[in-house]
Amino acid sequence: MLSKLENSTTLRWLGKQLFNREDPAAFFDPLLAPLDPMLVRQYVPARVERIEAETADTRTFTLKPAARWGGFCAGQHVTVSIDIDGRRHNRTFSLSCSPLRWQKEGLVTLTIKRLPGGLVTNWMHDHLEPGAVIGLGEAFGEFLIPGQPEPVLFIAGGSGITPILSQLETMAAEQYHAPVTLLYFVRTQADIIAAQRLHTLRQGWPAFSLSILATETGAAPRFLNDDHLDAVPGLRARRCYLCGPGGLMELATDLLHQRGIADDHIHCTFFAAPKAALAGDSLGGEVRFSRSDVTVTAEGEVSLLDIAEAASLSPRYGCRMGICHQCSCTKTSGTVINRLTGKTSGPGEEKIQLCVSVPKGPVNLEL
Amino acid sequence: MQKLTEAQLNELEKDLNAIRDEVLADLGERDARYIRKVIRLHRSLEVAGRVMMPFGFIPPVFVAATTALGLAKIIENMEIGHNVMHGQYDWMNDPALHSQTYEWDTVCTGDSWRRTHNYEHHTYTNVIGKDRDYGYAVLRLSDDVKWHPGHSLQFINYVLLSVFFQWGVGVHELETERLRRREIRWKDKLPFLKEFARKGGRQAFKDYVFFPLLTFPVAPIVLAGNVGANLIRNLWSSTVIFCGHFTQDAETFTEAECENESKGHWYLRQLTGSSNFTGGKLVHLLSGHLSYQIEHHVFPDLPAHRYPEISPRVQEICARYGIHYNTGSFAGQYGTVIKRILKYSLPDGVRSRLEAQPA
Repeated sequence: MLSKLENSTTLRWLGKQLFNREDPAAFFDPLLAPLDPMLVRQYVPARVERIEAETADTRTFTLKPAARWGGFCAGQHVTVSIDIDGRRHNRTFSLSCSPLRWQKEGLVTLTIKRLPGGLVTNWMHDHLEPGAVIGLGEAFGEFLIPGQPEPVLFIAGGSGITPILSQLETMAAEQYHAPVTLLYFVRTQADIIAAQRLHTLRQGWPAFSLSILATETGAAPRFLNDDHLDAVPGLRARRCYLCGPGGLMELATDLLHQRGIADDHIHCTFFAAPKAALAGDSLGGEVRFSRSDVTVTAEGEVSLLDIAEAASLSPRYGCRMGICHQCSCTKTSGTVINRLTGKTSGPGEEKIQLCVSVPKGPVNLEL
Repeated sequence: MQKLTEAQLNELEKDLNAIRDEVLADLGERDARYIRKVIRLHRSLEVAGRVMMPFGFIPPVFVAATTALGLAKIIENMEIGHNVMHGQYDWMNDPALHSQTYEWDTVCTGDSWRRTHNYEHHTYTNVIGKDRDYGYAVLRLSDDVKWHPGHSLQFINYVLLSVFFQWGVGVHELETERLRRREIRWKDKLPFLKEFARKGGRQAFKDYVFFPLLTFPVAPIVLAGNVGANLIRNLWSSTVIFCGHFTQDAETFTEAECENESKGHWYLRQLTGSSNFTGGKLVHLLSGHLSYQIEHHVFPDLPAHRYPEISPRVQEICARYGIHYNTGSFAGQYGTVIKRILKYSLPDGVRSRLEAQPA
């Protein structure tokens, strides 16, 4: 109901006049949040309903988003916002359940692996509890199952199984009749995520073939190889979906290319684990200014403001010494070091001051 | 101004930077909780004020409503808006508290404020000819400006500026004195004027048209109350702000002195060009902690509620370097501001004779 009010153009215009903001309904959040955190309007709140361990380092968080959340298609991801020690952090995760669960029960799940050195995933594992409310963005992503049934091959590695789980359960529910094969690579048996759900799928869905391969059993690690692909009937006709660590994805893509499978039949999605900041890492990197559609490569300790100006952009600036914040703009991804404080930023979306920020690796700016 | 050697200035820079780094490293839950508490207070006061206002035909309710709304505007402008726009809470990564997009409940647009205050005023603090806040182009506050007969009536300017302070601040960027001297053309100011008209119109519509008409039969009462609330905010904030740089001991500087200024020199200029006043916790909250103007000018982007903690350390540093730490009671400091306005409305000759007389 409140959404209807929000969508009325007159009321939105009026709200902007009265509250001086683009999201006028959120003006009352500070009064509503103490009553019930699910009443906030600034973002879509989602309450943690249940947390279950999948493996030693992976947990599934079941969330109940506010009714106005836009839903999703199997294979998509969402950006969640979590306040940790006063700071809002944004991280993106795949939805690991089928959209049917959202439609029927109003619930969604995120299956998240604890990343070594990762601020947010570790905090979620150690401190997030049922009853807590986090922010849930709208789903996005192009990693989608085919519109019409056609033979499919899924290659997943580790926690890369998450979007694929969503897709498999969706396909099973509609008794997808074209052959579907999953090659799921894990390090050891103990690292298999959603083993029960996968076996249940195999029982009830005839078109589905499942192979779970532990790479670290035995003397030498056994990765994806031609034998695995040979065992997939009708491989050349299959549409392939890959999700896992970079190495697996590269290997799989190469092998599939060798089999004559074209890029338009290979779909990839993954979130690179944030690289732990190593002392030896050099500064500089590829900087992309998304709004201006300009990409440059920078070296050394040059500030983003200087880099932008060298690339013939003219961002707003003021004191050029990190005090007045006139040059503040949005970094959508990548890591920067603040020259003034020496602090390294997180890898997610946040505002930074151009005049004192130095890129550390590839950086994307909304400029 | 203090003559510190280059080496001393470098040490000063190091000492002050150390405080800043320490506070930055300590920012977290405590600060987030503080600003959210203040915002909650603002929302409560504004809602209470606006809900009570239509019932203002009962005199005590009128006083309560106007006071509540006035306090709400004061808190939103000073403790929330001014501080958020300085980037004090950017680290929270909350889009509603981003310095570059925050829009506050007053006629001046956020963008204009960011340009004239964050950049111009804080970079060129008290530099005559560059810091247009010094006198706001309508008051003669030092002998750097040549006296002319019009100045003798400048106390009227002061009263008008205070009463209509939100409009004065809103139109500050127009640079009327430069327009008069034909240094810039009206055409140059057209984009600014459009912004000003839009925001000013919006604020006037909200307080003087929409809310009064919303409860039509009592429109005049709501209108009077809203005018009163804006007046309360105008008078309070102009008083607080004038105490920041116009007190007796606040120093001014020439452009030449500040050319190629080192960071240490910038720090020194901020320390000696600003002045504090003392008071209880309520005074600090309502002044947006500009009662700690010195700490604010040295560390504009540290959350203002931290200034009371930082203050003893800044005082210690000042003592060590022999820098005068300008503070006094609110009434005392304000008294010296009024004196300054009156003194410089007189021709230099008359003023010197008065100053020479024993008190």
